[in-house]
Amino acid sequence: MRTSIQVEQLCKSYGGYQVLNNVSFTVEQGSIVGLLGPNGAGKTTIVRLLNGVILPDSGKMVLHGHNPVIDGDAIRRISGVVTEGAGLYHELSGVENLRFFSKLYDCYDEKRIQELLQQFGLEEAQKKPVGKYSTGMKKRLALAKAILSRPEILFLDEPTNGLDPDGVKQVLTDLKAMNELQGTTIILCSHVLHQLESICDKYLFLQDGCIIEQGSKEEIENKYLKQVKLRVKTGLSVNGDHFAGYAVQQLDRQQLLFDLPSKDVISPLLEQILQQSWIHEAEIINNDLESLYFQVRGGNV
Amino acid sequence: MNWRHVNAVAKKDMKGITSNIQVMIGLILLPLIFGVIVPAVFIILAKTGNVANMNIVELIEKLITQFPAGEIKDKLVSFPTTQHQIIYMFANYMLGPFFLLIPVMNALMISLNSLVGEKERRTLESLLFSPIDLKSLFLGKLIATFIPTIAVTIASFLLCTIIVDGLTYSMFDGLIFPNWNWIIILLWVTPMLTALVIQFSIMISARSKGFQEAQQLGGVIVLPIIALAISQITGLLFLSTQLLLGIGLVLLMINILMLKWVAKFNQRHYLFERQVH
Repeated sequence: MRTSIQVEQLCKSYGGYQVLNNVSFTVEQGSIVGLLGPNGAGKTTIVRLLNGVILPDSGKMVLHGHNPVIDGDAIRRISGVVTEGAGLYHELSGVENLRFFSKLYDCYDEKRIQELLQQFGLEEAQKKPVGKYSTGMKKRLALAKAILSRPEILFLDEPTNGLDPDGVKQVLTDLKAMNELQGTTIILCSHVLHQLESICDKYLFLQDGCIIEQGSKEEIENKYLKQVKLRVKTGLSVNGDHFAGYAVQQLDRQQLLFDLPSKDVISPLLEQILQQSWIHEAEIINNDLESLYFQVRGGNV
Repeated sequence: MNWRHVNAVAKKDMKGITSNIQVMIGLILLPLIFGVIVPAVFIILAKTGNVANMNIVELIEKLITQFPAGEIKDKLVSFPTTQHQIIYMFANYMLGPFFLLIPVMNALMISLNSLVGEKERRTLESLLFSPIDLKSLFLGKLIATFIPTIAVTIASFLLCTIIVDGLTYSMFDGLIFPNWNWIIILLWVTPMLTALVIQFSIMISARSKGFQEAQQLGGVIVLPIIALAISQITGLLFLSTQLLLGIGLVLLMINILMLKWVAKFNQRHYLFERQVH
C-alpha cells in the first residue's frame, strides 16, 4: 500500500507554548485514521499543518508527494476539510454554499451538488438560508461541502457533533462507502470514541502535543490489554468468587464477570462452563476503544 | 490569479452585503444625505436668500477676485447676482468633498466588514482551507465592495444632478451641473480612490481582532487620510482635465502596486494564525 501522509519530527509552538512536539506518523493511502486525544492535545493543529494553512517550527510533512509548506495549494486541491465550526455562509442558502465552494475547488457541477444534497437529506431545505438550519443540517452540509470535489484526502474534525443517532449512522456509513469505493484517505478527529471504532483502521493517540501511542486497535489491544474482563450470560451459578481458577463475580441471576489474564484462556474457560450449563453470550467488556484510550492515557496522565 | 475564484468570491460577497443592515443603511442613507438633502437644502436656502448674510458671500467674492483670469472667472463674473455665483460655485466646486464621502464611507464600511465578517462568522477558516490564492481572494473582495459602492455613487450623482438642475434651471435658464471635471472625477478619480480605500481596509481587517477594532482603526487611520485627500477635491475641480486624468492614472498605479503588496504581505499562514482560533 502507498503512503498517503508522512510526518516526521513535526514541532509547532504558538507564543512560546509548545503545541506539537516531535510528532511522527504515516498514513497509508485509502486508510481511515482516528486522531484521538483530549482538548488541546494538538489534533486540530495537525490538520492545519497538513493543509499548509499554518507553518511548522520544524519537521517534515509529505502528502501525496507534496510538501504543505511550499506547495499548499496542491494539497488543498486534493483535500476536503470539515472544521469544527462548519464554516458555512449563513446568509446564503445550502445550495448557494455548495455552488460557491465548488467554484473555489474548480469542480462546479450542478448534478453533483444535487446528488450530495439528496445524499445528506438536504434536498428540500436547499433553498433555505443556512442560518435557519439546525446544527445537524449544518454539519451535513459541511460534510457535503468537504466531499464536493471527491477529495483524495479528507480531514474531519468532530464530523458527527450535533447529529442525531440516525445522522451519525448515515455519515459513518457514507464515509466508509467513500473510502471503499474511491479509496479516499480519511483523517478523523473525534471525542466520541465508540463511533470511530467501527470505521478506523488505525489510531493516533495524542497528549500534550506528543503521540503517545499509535497502531490498529488489535495492536493497541495486544499491548495494553493486560487483564481481560469477560461477561458471560449463562445458566451456571457460582459459589464463591472463583471458577476454574479465575476470579468471577455474579452480576445478576444469569450473568457472570470473569477477570482473565489473557484472551488465550477464554476458549478453555467457556468449554468448562459448557460442560455444566448453557452459554448465550460472551463478551470482552474492556477492549472497546474508550477503555483502551483510558488505558493508553493511564500511563501518561 | 484565478479569475473564476475572483468571480466566485465577488458574487458571494455582494450577495452577503444585502443581508447586512449596517452596510445597507450606509448604502441608502449616505446617498440620501449627500446626494439629495445637502444640495437641495443649500440651493433652497441660497435661492431664498438665507445664506446672503453668511460669511460665505464674502468668501465667494474674495475667491472670485483671486481667480486667475480664464473661463471660470469669466463665467462667474457674468452671473447677475451673488446668489447665482454662490449656487454655481457650490454645485460645481464645493459639493465635491461632501459628495465623495458617499463612496469613501461605503467602501470603508463594506470592506471592513468583509474580511473581519468572515473571521467572526468562522468562514475565513473554510476559505483558507480551500485552494484559492490570496491575491484572488483579496481581488474578489475588492470587486465586491467596488461595484456596489460605485453603483450607489453614480446613482447618487444622477439624483444630485436632477436635484441641482431641477432647482436651478429656472434661475440660470439652462443646466449648470455637472461640468466636465466633475464627470472625470466621478468616472475616473473616484473609482481609483475607492479601490485604494478598499485595499487599506483589507489591510486593516487582516490585522484586526474584531469588527470593532477594524472600525476604530479604519476611523483613526483611513478616514483622516481620505478626508485630507478629498478636502482637496474643491481644488481639483479647478484643475485641468489632463491633470485630473493624470491623477487617476497615478492612483491606478498605486492600486496595482498595493494589490501586489497586500497579497504578499498577508501570507496565508500569517492570516490564519492571526485570524483563526
